[in-house]
Amino acid sequence: MRELAICMYCDCVHERIDVPVRGVARCANCSRPLYHGNTDLGAMLAVTITATLAFTVANSFPLITLSSGGFQTEATLWRAITASYDQDLPAVAFALGVTLIFAPLLELGLLLWLLVPLYLQTRPPGFTKIMRLMHILRPWRMIEVFMLGVIVAVVKLSVLAETAPGWGLFGVAVMTLALASLASFDRGILWRRADEIAAR
Amino acid sequence: MIRAIDIGLAACETCELVVRTGPDAGVCPRCGEPVHVRKRSARTRSWSFLSAAAILYIPANTLVMMKSDSISSHREDTVLSGIAFLWSEGSWPLAMLVFAASVVIPMVKIASLGVLLVTTGERSTKARHGRTLLYRVLEVAGHWSMLDVFVVALLAAVVQMGPFAKVDPGPAVLPFAGVVILTMLASSSFDPRAIWDRGKA
Repeated sequence: MRELAICMYCDCVHERIDVPVRGVARCANCSRPLYHGNTDLGAMLAVTITATLAFTVANSFPLITLSSGGFQTEATLWRAITASYDQDLPAVAFALGVTLIFAPLLELGLLLWLLVPLYLQTRPPGFTKIMRLMHILRPWRMIEVFMLGVIVAVVKLSVLAETAPGWGLFGVAVMTLALASLASFDRGILWRRADEIAAR
Repeated sequence: MIRAIDIGLAACETCELVVRTGPDAGVCPRCGEPVHVRKRSARTRSWSFLSAAAILYIPANTLVMMKSDSISSHREDTVLSGIAFLWSEGSWPLAMLVFAASVVIPMVKIASLGVLLVTTGERSTKARHGRTLLYRVLEVAGHWSMLDVFVVALLAAVVQMGPFAKVDPGPAVLPFAGVVILTMLASSSFDPRAIWDRGKA
């Protein structure tokens, strides 16, 4: 059977063609994206490592520092989550923890787990289970929204006290960019590479 | 166009492998996930999540989102009054941004998903391209409404300067986050292929 691609938005069937590295194949009927042209596993791995380092920075340094009349406080990612818990809003703390720490951490960890062996031409253990899990997790990562939230918070606070963005915000920004660029890779290459390795 | 359903094909939703659908093709041979020609009970699930979101939208907007105390004042803000305050005291571009993310997006999302569900229910053939694009926009824009929840959580984390100034999240945070999560679930349960399915026979 020839390689086919089916549009997830309108069910239109296409014959799969190669697209340039920076290109996107779009549905002939509804013009929604079908798949991306970038299938470079090495580049994908490099971006994932960048995102992981940026995530470490985002978690280790304050996002915002605030000073007013001798007082100085800092907001870290972790404090932003625990503050809701301290206010008897455990459900909110849970939602924040999932979207800001658990989902990105798990996604990056799983991606590394898959990409390193695939890059070295071996099939990672638990490949299909992990691919399934990542498919479920993807919509729940909201780091880019959080970044905008930090910027809004900085402006709101500047009325109240001296406010400065911290290195943690830089980490969040780099991570946002890295994750956005990960979205421009063709994830299908992971399946195809794993199939190739299994067939050998 | 040739539709996959008409020639007995379907794409696995998890790994996008194209498989033949037949009496025995229930499971994707590559990833082992069940393959559905259309999302299962899409309309029922989507309507349920959407109704729940619409109900929670009321407390999300009427209850207090953020309490802020300083030496001289005590403020309790709903989402809207917070935006008004940001407009007058802070910066209007930011106020518009928060207004778009917290008020416009959830409202437009609930309304347009309702329109999509009604029109696909009637098997309408009008504006199929437009409705597909609308669905795509809903998918992409959906999670941006979480913005205000993050802002309140951050403010609460940073502003705890003893008796001088304090910011606490209010009871609206939970229903507000609920609206965002429920609308995301509602749009992911909806099957956009229904827009392209056959009109009334």
